[in-house]
Amino acid sequence: MPRFGRLLHGAGLLLVFAVTIFPFYWMVSSSFKTQTDLLASPPVWLFTPTLANYAEVFADQKVVGAIVNSLIVAVFSTLLAVVLGTPAAFALARYDFRGKSDLWFWFISNRFISPIVLALPIYLVAQNIGLLDTHLILILVYITFILPIVVWICTDQFRSIPRDLEEAARLEGASQFDIFWRIYLPLGVPGIAVSAIFGFIFSWNELLYALVLTRRAVQTAPVVATSFMSGYELPWGKIMATGTVIVLPVTIFALLVSRHMVRGLTMGATK
Amino acid sequence: MSFLRLEGIEKRYGAASVINGVSISAREGEFVVFVGPSGCGKSTLLRMIAGLEEVTAGEVFIDGARVTELEPAKRKVSMVFQSYALFPHMTVRDNIAFGLKMSKVPKAEIERQVAEAARILQMEPLLDRKPRQLSGGQRQRVAIGRAIVRHPKLFLFDEPLSNLDAELRAQMRVEIARLHRELGVTMVYVTHDQVEAMTLADRIVVLRGGRVEQVGSPDELYDAPGNTFVAGFIGSPKMNLITAAVAAREGAALTVTHPSLVAPLHVASRQGGGGQSGPGVGDTVLLGLRPEHLMLGEGPNQIELTADLSESLGGSTLIYAQTRAAEPMVLQAAGRRLLGKGETFTAGFDAARAYVFDKDGRAF
Ligand SMILES: Nc1ncnc2c1ncn2[C@@H]1O[C@H](COP(=O)(O)OP(=O)(O)OP(=O)(O)O)[C@@H](O)[C@H]1O
Ligand SMILES: [Mg+2]
Repeated sequence: MPRFGRLLHGAGLLLVFAVTIFPFYWMVSSSFKTQTDLLASPPVWLFTPTLANYAEVFADQKVVGAIVNSLIVAVFSTLLAVVLGTPAAFALARYDFRGKSDLWFWFISNRFISPIVLALPIYLVAQNIGLLDTHLILILVYITFILPIVVWICTDQFRSIPRDLEEAARLEGASQFDIFWRIYLPLGVPGIAVSAIFGFIFSWNELLYALVLTRRAVQTAPVVATSFMSGYELPWGKIMATGTVIVLPVTIFALLVSRHMVRGLTMGATK
Repeated sequence: MSFLRLEGIEKRYGAASVINGVSISAREGEFVVFVGPSGCGKSTLLRMIAGLEEVTAGEVFIDGARVTELEPAKRKVSMVFQSYALFPHMTVRDNIAFGLKMSKVPKAEIERQVAEAARILQMEPLLDRKPRQLSGGQRQRVAIGRAIVRHPKLFLFDEPLSNLDAELRAQMRVEIARLHRELGVTMVYVTHDQVEAMTLADRIVVLRGGRVEQVGSPDELYDAPGNTFVAGFIGSPKMNLITAAVAAREGAALTVTHPSLVAPLHVASRQGGGGQSGPGVGDTVLLGLRPEHLMLGEGPNQIELTADLSESLGGSTLIYAQTRAAEPMVLQAAGRRLLGKGETFTAGFDAARAYVFDKDGRAF
């Protein structure tokens, strides 16, 4: 029976893996196909790969520009959210002040609202202050989404840091800022890394606000990718190649940062 | 002139009263140990000396200056935590140097000081390791190193050895004693291990329920415990307490009887006085006999007991027995003297080593 159980376990894993990985596989493999191979029915599994789709993508100023735009928006919104969110998390984790739980709830409640509800009001505001179609408006809007994530995850992370460390540091003459900067930030790296990944992925993939708030100048990658999906004949190869190119930076970023997500960084502090 | 002085310290958390008026002082260079059962407020008191916890009432003086509201760093005290509280992301070197860096000591000076601390604690080869690469004993050393490097006026230790195994604990205990001798700094040490208290302390402060029960040198507390609580806390195994009756009283001396005592026992007051206070004829008292003062068979005074169980410790034997009034009694006899269950025997003791407490537990 345990043998059979193991088999079942393996089969289940395989199934889940196939279901999640297949669309990804299809996208990547399709990006190397010619239009003929792409539209073949039944689908061809063995084909001669071509880089023509990628040549087309990188020749398209719109795509390259969109990726640069996305990078700017994602990097800055994530960075700013971390810079603003970590001190907030430190305060929520370690200080008692009036309205603390309300503030905490407010951070959570931000995520209760469906994004579409706020799209129009934000559009009107952006229009009034002349920020439509700028990087800044997307960065600002994305921060409002990422900040709560950073605050949640980091508050939790900071709370898990033994109090003794802070007290030891205080006795040694460390200021509150020193304690935050030299103890909580370095020890909070796993939480900061996780929230940064979430934030980056969110900004990078966000479509709704990017569509609503931008026109020509600051189109992001998802916007451009979807813009191909109109007209008479869909350029499948190019769409797939664009998709692959879009996925790449997030994957690289996630791989880089995940090294820091290891648990147990606080090990050895106390025993 | 006292170096550390606490005056009427109180601490309340909301309605819960944790420290109820503690006044004690320590001379410069003294090794003071706080002992008491779990939850009696030892750590709280220590943290109030450090400034990590505010006092609800009372005053704290260190080196002649009132520091009651002073922030921790300015009190010039160092503390070694039970958990060590090492910074896990820093090397041993950086851990030790942390306080010096915070007080903006020049780099060369920091290096010199760290090297000096590493030498004193014999941990030069460990300086570039992270805490997680160290054993418990080594972490403890680093925590002490971090404490000594700033040349504090006062060292505070909160059960620093309780996470170590028995052998290492004995070793570190000796090392802390050596450190105290070498540095000559005032130390306040919290423990609930009475062996640590007896061996390290110049003075022991026995706490119970946020109050000081008694203050004195280890020998004073052993020889003249002020009440049954202190008597039970100092000494191991615990002092035996049996209920006896007062047959006669002459000033500062009592004659007490007990069903197991072969003859009435004459005991003198340990508190000097006597006078009119204390137990009178007909009162019941508690007679205290330490296990190590009871000898099998011999002695000027004799008590008859029935054995329950014997445990050989190799060099000596613990005998668990009962009096005729079915009170438990422990003896620590030299050599191997295993007695079977139900065996009756007599034990002897010196009247000068018997303790008497009134029915409220106060020493006579
Ligand atoms: N922040 C707090 N809020 C409420 N009660 C507290 C707080 N800190 C400590 N106490 C209470 O104060 C009492 C004394 O605590 P303390 O830690 O000083 O005891 P202790 O003598 O050090 O005990 P142990 O030997 O177990 O370390 C305990 O009853 C504890 O529950
Ligand atoms: Mg404690």
